[in-house]
Amino acid sequence: MVFSSLPFLFFFLPAFLILYYVFHGRAKNFVLLVFSLLFYAWGEPVYILLMLLSSFVDYLDGILQEKYGTTLLRKRIFLACALIINFSLLAYFKYADFAVGIWNRLTPWDAALPGVALPVGISFYTFQTVSYSIDVYKGRVKVEHNYLDYLTYVSMFPQLIAGPIVRFSTVQEEIHSRKVSESGFVQGFHRFLPGLMRKVLIANQIGALWDSIRAAEGISVITAWLGLLCFTLQLYYDFSAYSDMAIGLGRMLGFHFPENFIYPLSATSITDFWRRWHISLSTWFRDYIYIPLGGNRVGVTKHLRNMFAVWFLTGLWHGASWNFVMWGLYHGILLALEKYVWGKGLAKLPKFLQHLYAIVIVVFGFGIFTFDDLGEMGRYFMQLAGIPGNAFFGTEFFWYAGNYLPFLLAACVLAFPVWPWFRNKMEKAGVYRKNLAAMCGALLLITLFLVVVASLVRDTYNPFLYFRF
Amino acid sequence: MNTNGQEKKTEEETQPVTMTERVSAYLIALMILCFSIAFFLTKKQDFSESENRTLAKLPQITWEKIRNGSVTEALGTYAADHFPMRNEFLSIITEAERLSGRKEINGVYLAQDGSLIEVYDAPQNTDKQIAQFSKLAENTEHAHCSLMLVPTAVSVYRDALPQYAPDADALLRSDRQTLVAEQGAARPTQLQTIQQIYAAMPEKMQTIDVYGALRADVQWTAEAMGGAEDGQGVPPSRRLFYRTDHHWTVYGAYIGYQAWCEARGITPLPLTDYVTETVSEDFRGTIYSKLNDPYFGADTIISCRHPDWRLQVLYPDTGEVTDSPYNPEYLTQKDQYSYFLNNIHPMVIITNDAVESGAVAVVKDSYANCFVPFLLNHYHTVYVFDTRYYKGGPSKFINEHPEITEVLVLYNMNTIDSDTGIGGIY
Repeated sequence: MVFSSLPFLFFFLPAFLILYYVFHGRAKNFVLLVFSLLFYAWGEPVYILLMLLSSFVDYLDGILQEKYGTTLLRKRIFLACALIINFSLLAYFKYADFAVGIWNRLTPWDAALPGVALPVGISFYTFQTVSYSIDVYKGRVKVEHNYLDYLTYVSMFPQLIAGPIVRFSTVQEEIHSRKVSESGFVQGFHRFLPGLMRKVLIANQIGALWDSIRAAEGISVITAWLGLLCFTLQLYYDFSAYSDMAIGLGRMLGFHFPENFIYPLSATSITDFWRRWHISLSTWFRDYIYIPLGGNRVGVTKHLRNMFAVWFLTGLWHGASWNFVMWGLYHGILLALEKYVWGKGLAKLPKFLQHLYAIVIVVFGFGIFTFDDLGEMGRYFMQLAGIPGNAFFGTEFFWYAGNYLPFLLAACVLAFPVWPWFRNKMEKAGVYRKNLAAMCGALLLITLFLVVVASLVRDTYNPFLYFRF
Repeated sequence: MNTNGQEKKTEEETQPVTMTERVSAYLIALMILCFSIAFFLTKKQDFSESENRTLAKLPQITWEKIRNGSVTEALGTYAADHFPMRNEFLSIITEAERLSGRKEINGVYLAQDGSLIEVYDAPQNTDKQIAQFSKLAENTEHAHCSLMLVPTAVSVYRDALPQYAPDADALLRSDRQTLVAEQGAARPTQLQTIQQIYAAMPEKMQTIDVYGALRADVQWTAEAMGGAEDGQGVPPSRRLFYRTDHHWTVYGAYIGYQAWCEARGITPLPLTDYVTETVSEDFRGTIYSKLNDPYFGADTIISCRHPDWRLQVLYPDTGEVTDSPYNPEYLTQKDQYSYFLNNIHPMVIITNDAVESGAVAVVKDSYANCFVPFLLNHYHTVYVFDTRYYKGGPSKFINEHPEITEVLVLYNMNTIDSDTGIGGIY
């Protein structure tokens, strides 16, 4: 099930919340667990077993490490088993076709593609549950003895299928006892609603524009760049809105999930971008791959090796296709260049040039990200450079940009922290203006909510990009 | 890793919930509750009058369907189709997009003259059409066959399309062929598809250039009006297509009839021989239904009738017999186009006692419903086949009735590609 759908908003969520607030104590967790499993089963009734297995392996690993992990060697064996099982499942269900494809290309012995369908959210929950095993090994988290509580954590529907990647250490206390309050509901709902609107009114609209530009033939250079900008905006709004909705839902239930996006498109460098984009993923790679490899406290050669490893894997995590690997390495190389070549010089440039530098690299990078067919990528990139002889400027630009102008403008402006800036300004503007702004905001919220429902009722275009990962 | 969560907590504690936040949150929560309760309380309709389509039914639940996720998908569609105030919500989203400056909404162009024109989707079944049309011509033993593929407003009224609309652009670009060749991704225009099908027709199937005739009329009207060809200010009696429906008007059909007569060496009756009558001024057609926004207004239906007609219209499937090809009872309903030839029947037989002999067979979709009346003055009997519902293939019937000397195959380019009736043409 997806958050931005009529069944979720009008049936699942009200039914769940009413039961959740009615029951107390341990029954609350049980309600949450049952609804989370329903939520997952709505789209993937079979693969739910996989999630149960995956989470049980790590739960068991925690218990084994505590009870029988008397020596380091034993602990290592237990951890290794858990990691091997989890990553094997991930490898089979996500990368089997990719691997067999490479095998077929490299060797004369052709094998049939297994044709495995990707279970929704497997990349997210595998990373979550694996982080628990590693944290237990490192002694960073207390071992969980109740499987149902552990399963509640892994399967918790707000963050189950598209992040943020919440670690058990972050929510362990709250799983056992959390403060569910009325103000938490209001705050969470006010986090959820803007997320819903960003998804339905910006990501879906801009996404439709990107689809039509992608399908158009003979577009001019400027339209091709507009297309990539659209994809970047779509991906950002799609994914960050999902995180907003997840964090908001969590808040309504009494949980505090970590922030996942902090205006990444307003970054001033690629290093800055990765501190703002999909934070729960980049910190995961930092804590579980980069730092264990030695991080940057090693020689330059080793540091570069560590970066290569992290960015190769970050790319691969996004999908079983070469373009994702290329995208990861592209960012890795730029990060290395910023670290060792032009990072200091960049910081001295005027601010707007830094923004321009970052956005161009990011947008171009998402061009690599979006085409999993390398041939199609090549054709599109030729158009970006005007190589097939397409004009620099064509009137079709007016059609695409003109039809979506208010949405494009809103998407560009809201990618910068204008909203916090405005709130801050209103805080200082005196009671009268502050209240007026709050009233207008509330009216806008209600109006936009109706437009969101209208848009879902028509229901022509509503994909979630990150479900593929 | 607790740091993020901790920061968030302290921030929340310093910013208490305001009254406005509380009120707006509960208002929206209340709205959600009301709609979900209303959803269960309201009576579900099987058919949407305003959208003119069957609404989704509750899915049959089987293990296989649960496993492949189609049950949940169907439930989602069901929720959208039966959502309380669905029509009002459709208007809201259309108005919101229109006000944002959109010129294409839900696959519909908002044309410069205020009419609605459907986007031409890339054709999927051109080869199948070629095969079926050819089969019909080959199977037909005695009668002469002709094929008339009618382009829709997107081609004929291309000057009225919004500025820079891709369909208009594609029609006007001279470098299109090379582009298509270079980039592979061919998305032919409607006219190219017609040309492709026409070129592949066997000798026995005469093709009729109705596009040329319709365009000539657009230019003629523009000259008569002393204006441009973008359709502004054209009176309903001179419109070739409805403003809010995908069909051509009776006048458009008359132009098509002229083109057919010319191709077949028949002298067409002048339109002035007919008695014209405005039968409806509140027709909101199929394209209107895609947007459902009263802003776009309504259409006029003009009907025409020959004073000499002495008709008997037989619907063999129901056994009903009438004396007119028109059915005024539909004019009070949403689906007013069914005024022509009573909506859907596998076969209709019309005889005109004012004409002594001759018979023609029309293999067609709904575009022919307002065209058929013009044939009545040339043949004693007109057999009309709707291949979506007529089983067994019209050629068998035609061969069994030697009095049929003429077969006209008439389809429009908008719906033929997805039409389920294609398989029935043979």
